[in-house]
Amino acid sequence: MSQSASNPNEAWGSRIGLILAMAGNAVGLGNFLRFPSQAANNGGGTFMIAYFTALLLLGIPLMWIEWGVGRNGGRFRKGHVPGMFAALWKHPAAKYLGAMGLVVPLIVLIYYTYIESWTLAFTFFSITKDYWGHDTQQSMVQYLQSFQSIGDSSVHGIWKPFLFFFITLFLNFWIVSKGISGGIEKLAKIGMPVLFIFALILAIVVLALPAGPDGSTAAQGLQFIYQPDFSKLGQPGVWLAAAGQIFFTLSVGMGTLQAYASYLSTKDDIVLSGVATAATNETAEVVLGGSIAIPAAVVFFGVTGLTQIASSGSFNIGFATMPVVFQNLPFGNLLGFMWFGLLFFAGITSSVAMATPIIAFFREEFGWRREPVTWGLGAVVLAFGLLNIIWFRYGMLDEWDYWGGTFGLALFATIEVVLFMWVFKPEKAWHSMHQGADMRIPPIYKFIMTYVTPAYLFVILGWWAWQDAWPILTLERMAGGGPVIPEHVFYVHASRAIMLAFVVGFLLLIRMAWKRNGYDDRKGFVEVEDTPAGALPDEQARVAQPV
Amino acid sequence: MSTTAIIFMAVSWLFVLALTFWSFKRVLGSQKHFDPDGIGPAQPPVKGRTES
Repeated sequence: MSQSASNPNEAWGSRIGLILAMAGNAVGLGNFLRFPSQAANNGGGTFMIAYFTALLLLGIPLMWIEWGVGRNGGRFRKGHVPGMFAALWKHPAAKYLGAMGLVVPLIVLIYYTYIESWTLAFTFFSITKDYWGHDTQQSMVQYLQSFQSIGDSSVHGIWKPFLFFFITLFLNFWIVSKGISGGIEKLAKIGMPVLFIFALILAIVVLALPAGPDGSTAAQGLQFIYQPDFSKLGQPGVWLAAAGQIFFTLSVGMGTLQAYASYLSTKDDIVLSGVATAATNETAEVVLGGSIAIPAAVVFFGVTGLTQIASSGSFNIGFATMPVVFQNLPFGNLLGFMWFGLLFFAGITSSVAMATPIIAFFREEFGWRREPVTWGLGAVVLAFGLLNIIWFRYGMLDEWDYWGGTFGLALFATIEVVLFMWVFKPEKAWHSMHQGADMRIPPIYKFIMTYVTPAYLFVILGWWAWQDAWPILTLERMAGGGPVIPEHVFYVHASRAIMLAFVVGFLLLIRMAWKRNGYDDRKGFVEVEDTPAGALPDEQARVAQPV
Repeated sequence: MSTTAIIFMAVSWLFVLALTFWSFKRVLGSQKHFDPDGIGPAQPPVKGRTES
């Protein structure tokens, strides 16, 4: 793999390492918890028609576009989205639009590490059989809620969520502080095989389970996911749900794929690597994700019981239903350890990616060294993560998840596609993606990426704005669903004010960075692709030369 | 499981597994010159030849 232009002292160590890190970024909790619920609730087998259509017309094109945007930014030593957008569009507004590529990963990183800490805690609780005895769904939900909410100490001490959050946070930022090759790539090379092995073992165990108390089998669980309901094929909601699932599962619209791709040179392939990344994620989701939680839950609770559980949220399936299942299996504590261990690896390989574009911004534009930036970001995540723990019961996490992790992603991806395919122009985008490519993208995809993918995104964005964003913004209902609770309103507004402060803060920092480095928006950056290796020391490796 | 559910599941699995095997076969088959630190030789060493 060739020397990175984004930073001469940082590069991926191997192509497999890069693909595993990219796939690790994409494979997350949603692969194992969200996908099977979505499939089952939206027509089963017919959902898969809409799902694969969205993969081919939205997911894979977006993957290529994000790798292309990132690698193009790397040519100008820009590993962050404001710089990447400015490299695509020589206009003063471009860099400010790129602020989304810093705000979105920061918001998601903060609450995601908190959720990740639940998986770490439950890994520990499984191996020590801490939840043994909570052998009904209701009892496990109480066990989970007592852990999540510091106001409820009926089962867990108040210190537990904080302890596991500190450990999770430390692990994340320790890995990130080791750099791209020394930290993130090593994690992916260990974490991804472990994740796949754990998932494979669990899938085999679940599919081999004997019939449950009411005679339900794992095959009925698979039937629940895949039984086609052709009447739903004509419903727009099914197609939007499938497009939304593809969108979330590939981790697009976040600035992370771009940041990873910026460490590649134009001699490196991004076309085949992009397909391999998407395919790895899809295997984890469709083959493994669909074969564990839902079939296991059906064996023990039946289809009717599962439908009730699923309606209470996909987290309850993972954190309440599965522990009940494990208590009824031989070596259940080991299986529980593997289940939550795989969720932890799925989470941490995603969260370290979210830190990368933010760290790149401060290193490249302000010349700060990796370690202080990393631990400084860790302190910010710690402060607002603690707030998320304390305000969890008031719906702060749901609020951030909606605006940052749902609507924000779609908005960012739409802007990005328009910039790359329309402003940068299809011919240049096409040429850029094919530099160093190991395969040609089928020519039809030039049309798809120029018209179909943006259209898909506009429809998704419009639908979500109309269906969810407006009612949530005007407090007709809460972001997590359900009616507005008056005592939560203050915290909802406070949560939004913090997100707004992040937006304003990053806009000011971008303005400061551009002034500091003397960038001319109308002239663009100087390409640094041919900079001799090692010519710049680490501290100076941050900026393209001002024009 | 009904026949239609089996068909939909089989086609879904086959599609993603085929895509994964095909892409990784090509990735592993096209080993480019590997130069992680950027200071290696411009070209990969040629098999079967030694420096004179």
